[in-house]
Amino acid sequence: MNNLRIANLSKTYSNGVKALDDVSIEIEPGMFGLLGPNGAGKSTLMRTLATLQEADSGSAFLGDIDILNQPVELRKVLGYLPQEFGVYPRITAWQLLDHMAILKGITNNSERKELLKYLLDKVNLYDKRNKSVKGFSGGMKQRVGIAQALIGNPKLLIVDEPTAGLDPGERNRFYNLLVDVSEDVIVILSTHIVDDIRELCSNMAIMNGGQIVYKGTPQAALEDLKGKVYQKMVTRETLKEHANSFSIISNKMVAGQPLIHIYSESSPGNGFEPVDPNLEDVFFSKTNADHLLV
Amino acid sequence: MFKHFFFTELRYALRQPMVYIFLGLITLMVFGATSSDNIVIGGTVGSVHKNAPYVITNFTAIMSIFGLLIAVAFYNNAALRDYNNQFNEILFSTPLSKGGYFFGRFFGALILSTIPLLGVFLGVILGTLIAPAVGWEGPERFGEFHFEAFLNNYLLFILPNMFFAGAVIYAMANKWRSTVISFVGALIILMTYIISGTLLSDIDNETIGALTDMFGIRTFSIESKYLTPVEKNTLSPGFTGLLMVNRLVWVAVGAVVLLLSYFSFSFQEKKKAVKAKKEGEKAEKQEFLQPELHPNHGKASGLAHFGSFFYTNTLSITKSITFKILFLFSALILISSLVGGFEYYGLQSYPVTYKIVDLINNSAGIFVVIVLVFFSGELIWRDRDNKINEVIDATPHASLVSMVAKAFSLITVSCLLHLFFVFCGVIYQLVNGFTNIELDVYLLEMLYGKLPAYAVLSGVMITIQVLVNNKYIGYFLSIFLLFMMNFVWLALDVQTNMVSISDGPRISYSDMNGFGPGLTGALWFNLYWLLFAVVMIMGAGVLWNRGASAPFKERLSAGRKQMSRGYGLAWSGAFLAWVLVAGWVFYNTKVLNEIVTQDESELIAVEYERLYKKYENVPLPKLVDVKYEVHIFPEERNVDVKADILLENKTNKYIDSLHFNCDPEWSPEFDIPNAEVVLDNEEMGYKIFRFNKPMAPGERLEITINTAYRTKGFENDRGNTWIVRNGTFLNSSTIIPSMGYSSRSELQDKNKRRKYGLPPKDRMPELQSTCSEACMANYLSNGHSDYMPVETIISTSEDQIAIAPGSLIKEWNENGRNYYHYKVDHPSQHFYSFVSADYEVARRKWNGVDLEVYHHPGHDKNVPMMLDAIERSLAYYTENFGPYYHKQCRIIEFPRYSRFAQAFPGTMPYSESFGFIANLEDTENNNVVDAVVAHEMAHQWWAHQVVGARMQGGTMLSESFAEYSSLMTMKQISETPMKMREFLKYDHDRYLRGRSREVDNELPLLEVENQGHIHYGKGSVVLYALQDYIGEDAVNRALRGFLEEYRYKEPPYPTSNDFLRYLEPEVPDSLQYLITDWIKEITLYDNRLKEASYTELSDGKYEVSIDLEAYKIKADTIGNETQVDMNDWVDIGVFADSEEKELIYERRVKVNQPEMSFTMVVDEKPAKAAVDPRRLLIERTYSDNVKTVSEGESEP
Repeated sequence: MNNLRIANLSKTYSNGVKALDDVSIEIEPGMFGLLGPNGAGKSTLMRTLATLQEADSGSAFLGDIDILNQPVELRKVLGYLPQEFGVYPRITAWQLLDHMAILKGITNNSERKELLKYLLDKVNLYDKRNKSVKGFSGGMKQRVGIAQALIGNPKLLIVDEPTAGLDPGERNRFYNLLVDVSEDVIVILSTHIVDDIRELCSNMAIMNGGQIVYKGTPQAALEDLKGKVYQKMVTRETLKEHANSFSIISNKMVAGQPLIHIYSESSPGNGFEPVDPNLEDVFFSKTNADHLLV
Repeated sequence: MFKHFFFTELRYALRQPMVYIFLGLITLMVFGATSSDNIVIGGTVGSVHKNAPYVITNFTAIMSIFGLLIAVAFYNNAALRDYNNQFNEILFSTPLSKGGYFFGRFFGALILSTIPLLGVFLGVILGTLIAPAVGWEGPERFGEFHFEAFLNNYLLFILPNMFFAGAVIYAMANKWRSTVISFVGALIILMTYIISGTLLSDIDNETIGALTDMFGIRTFSIESKYLTPVEKNTLSPGFTGLLMVNRLVWVAVGAVVLLLSYFSFSFQEKKKAVKAKKEGEKAEKQEFLQPELHPNHGKASGLAHFGSFFYTNTLSITKSITFKILFLFSALILISSLVGGFEYYGLQSYPVTYKIVDLINNSAGIFVVIVLVFFSGELIWRDRDNKINEVIDATPHASLVSMVAKAFSLITVSCLLHLFFVFCGVIYQLVNGFTNIELDVYLLEMLYGKLPAYAVLSGVMITIQVLVNNKYIGYFLSIFLLFMMNFVWLALDVQTNMVSISDGPRISYSDMNGFGPGLTGALWFNLYWLLFAVVMIMGAGVLWNRGASAPFKERLSAGRKQMSRGYGLAWSGAFLAWVLVAGWVFYNTKVLNEIVTQDESELIAVEYERLYKKYENVPLPKLVDVKYEVHIFPEERNVDVKADILLENKTNKYIDSLHFNCDPEWSPEFDIPNAEVVLDNEEMGYKIFRFNKPMAPGERLEITINTAYRTKGFENDRGNTWIVRNGTFLNSSTIIPSMGYSSRSELQDKNKRRKYGLPPKDRMPELQSTCSEACMANYLSNGHSDYMPVETIISTSEDQIAIAPGSLIKEWNENGRNYYHYKVDHPSQHFYSFVSADYEVARRKWNGVDLEVYHHPGHDKNVPMMLDAIERSLAYYTENFGPYYHKQCRIIEFPRYSRFAQAFPGTMPYSESFGFIANLEDTENNNVVDAVVAHEMAHQWWAHQVVGARMQGGTMLSESFAEYSSLMTMKQISETPMKMREFLKYDHDRYLRGRSREVDNELPLLEVENQGHIHYGKGSVVLYALQDYIGEDAVNRALRGFLEEYRYKEPPYPTSNDFLRYLEPEVPDSLQYLITDWIKEITLYDNRLKEASYTELSDGKYEVSIDLEAYKIKADTIGNETQVDMNDWVDIGVFADSEEKELIYERRVKVNQPEMSFTMVVDEKPAKAAVDPRRLLIERTYSDNVKTVSEGESEP
């Protein structure tokens, strides 16, 4: 039973920001999406799970490993790609991964060599293995980051906004890679790109203000909203008015005109037409509880 | 726009703690230096006020060096903040003005970087207000405030220094956008500073050295070197002279750098140096399979982690630009100091290995420390700076392994640097044809001294960076700990190497005595510090901020979780081992041996004076005969002494008691018939015996004193360097207790005396015209003996020769030890030495006198020259002064722990480092060995045949005469008169520098009170000039007559007035003023050439016309100087070459106007003209005496 069980996890920073507020969740192997606006506490949660930060209270277990009290044990089965992945200057991709692989316990030279070749090929950097990583483009660096996260067959793989800066091709390749490894492995993928979650994740959670505001499958979430989302093109002048009289989920511009989505148990008429909810609607309906314009 | 950026820069930084931290630290340091004598910044202040403008300037100048660190922090921040926050693209897309942005930030940073240095002024003001009020210092130590000093210092030092340094750093930061490179900028400034310092080490390059000093520190010290105390108290540095030129030059350089940087500055994002990467055609696609993995998280993985960390760390240091630049600069510095390694009187020594080792440690060693400090921060912050920390931290490595790997990388890099220095040294030796390369000395020195120090510093600096968790504060703390912590301990009166990071007894290699007496102690201290570093770094392993930055408490709890039981055990084990070694070191240094702190020794001196000053004038018998038995045990470093002493009551009173000063280290035992101990103060070592029956005038008494010196364990410092394995050197005043109250043990420093409420120290008895009681004692034996016979039986181990003054009467071997019996041939001063070492002896005979040089095997290069010098001295002195009364002249080498030569009867110990290894192959150079041998030989007449009474002027009769005699032997063999000027310039300099540092009032030569700069420096210059003015024979006749009257004569001893009785008749009336001006008063000249030109005459000769300006300055005894009219004879002359070697014309003219013109006709084409071309007169500025002659209008 290799589930990740988080119970009542809280963390308040010294400046008073409550980054985690009594978070409890159980995550099973497979891809797990973590959605939330900036500052929702996603990164704090992930850092805490990656043993890089202390929590004030609560517990987190990966199988038998008490993450908060046995950081060393967790690190042996952890793959981690942080939001910002920097590299050392004056060092090649191979040297960097080699160093990382040793740190992750791949001390057998030939094994390590094979592994590095395999991973570099997987992230399509085999040809560039002897180039200085500092000179890589953002996407290439990110791929190095992915390669290092995959070293050593981690049981828990935490990736924090991995696709920022990747072109569509790279993004696809990356997701294929993740799906490949996600059997028997818990992959926590934090992102604010809603599509990523839909495409990849069997389970997801939405965080806001340090709390988990939704947990379940994407399908269930969509199911919940089915028939309750309506949209309408409005003018800028009437935008405000609409916002006051309806439970607005989101507003965005389409061809220069505001398009609003609202939540309604029944058809509001008034020019609104029903629409199939998408994950974005889920996201906004969970995080925009006050129905404010954005 | 400028205003906006200027003020945002200020506002931003003023909200950060850094500026206040630096300001506070500097204020504290300067406050400490102002309010306590124990804290010294840039030399002691002597009799100058503690808040004198001169002192403030010194503080400011030195603090500007620390200011460099501050400058980097502020300028780098100003230039890079937007980039580092990735705000640049947003900011630069707005329409802001380039000039406003660039200069606004720059000047904002300039103002900011000067703020911490205002701490100098704050510190001085606080010190002046608080110290006298609280009673730390007497109010008389402070003068009135000189606000001008603050202002001028700010404008002359702080602002220009920060401007220049800032311009360079800001330009580099803007160009390369890297903190590392900005630091390199600061380092370059530091290096250039050091290079200009090495230029200055030779006196000729003073002007260049002064101008190349970008901080103006040396410029100021050159400009102020001859300032008298009064001037130091009142004069603020002014906007004139070299200093002003220097400041203008460097501000201009800074401005140019800044402008260049401005024009190349652009808002465009700097193009990243990405090489266009070709999408190389893929060769046939290889298939890679995921291998089966067997991750290893056992113990062995730690080793692999270590290896990988070590490799990447070391690589990152050695590949970094900073390191490469440091490497290059240190090599440059080392090579320049190797090549310019001047030693004394412009003479170089042979590149013996220990010299090179010293040079490496002195000039290049600082680079290793810089590397350690800088890269300890870099390594600790490397992961975070590169934003890879989270990834690394999340891997299953132990933090300790990472810390230890960092430490080892630092150690490895330091060792690489050090070995590189050694390599340079060896190459230098080989290039100079010196083949006796002692690789073992190089390597052992490194192993005993440097390697442990590097290891300890690495461990400690890493720990500091981990604990402080802020790079800059970490740097500052590291530097504070390294360079300033000792002042703090000093102020707290804690004096042991056990609190001074990585310190221990010094080890210095001597060819004679190897690594010497400090070695054992040094090794134990090394172990003590290494264990300390281990304990520290294990702590760092726990407290290392792993993961997101967190407050200390969280780090502590996170650390605990990672600490296994084994870790805890190992840590405790290391701690226990450290405690045990600390105990052993403490036992040896504090229990077996003693550490007397400065405050303690002051208190003892104070107490001694309070208790026993009353005995100063009790009548005591004099020694009239001594038979020594001295047994030296070099292996154990022990000495046993038995002295049979015959005392005589030479006074006309009854003597009822004997007073002794006992050194507890020598545990003296007395055998005095019919006497009992009535006072025995062990702490002060004062002991009084009272006779049952007083000694009647003329009565004699035999007493025996046994002393024994035992070396125990090891000491805090290297301990006794006089009793050593090879090269023991003792003298009579050490081995037996001295008699009577010793005023030499009193506290000397007048400010300290005031602090302890002691009256001002008695000055030397004033010079009297008719001599009475005061002339019964001479200044050498202090009234405890007169000319007397001495003999010695001395024994040592079988491999050594032991020497005492006198003829060797008998020599034998007994119980595997060598015994010698020496007896002085003529009653002499009781000033007696005992030496033992493994010697080779070079012998010669001269008119029945045995000339012997006892030297270390291998140090034979200069021995023939020494023998020549002895011969030459004997010839000149016997001919001009009188006979030599000993049957031997010995020069004896002793290890280099001290650097002097000294004359005992017929016997002259001479330091290893002071002549035996001087390179005398180039005969163009000053021959310092000739000079020193001649000086010590002259003491066989001046000091041993005749010695001055213990009163003012006494040392003139020995030291001035000896130095004069030495100059005369030099003059005999100098080919040109100009060579003597080369030599004399060091004597001039010695006097002028000395008088500017005068603590008490300056005295005329006639009344000199044992002040080196007067009796050596001024005495030699004046007597040399005198023989030039009245003739060598006349001076020598006076000397000879004086000697004949007093030679080996029982007291009263002569005074300097007695010498004048012989000198005055030799001086023609027209020159009598010389005696007044030069000997009886203090006179300086101020001569200069205003114009010098020549015209070719019709007969092919040249007429040289000069306009000169001449003043005479009389100085009173507190440094006030008044200009007086000149009516003196001065030389004028013409040189044929610009090197001033060929003096083709010289004439002595009467100068009786402040401005005069002269013409001279010479045969050759003139190059330069000069007033006082051979530098006979004492002047503060001589360089304006010589001028290149310009071609004038030809005669019609």
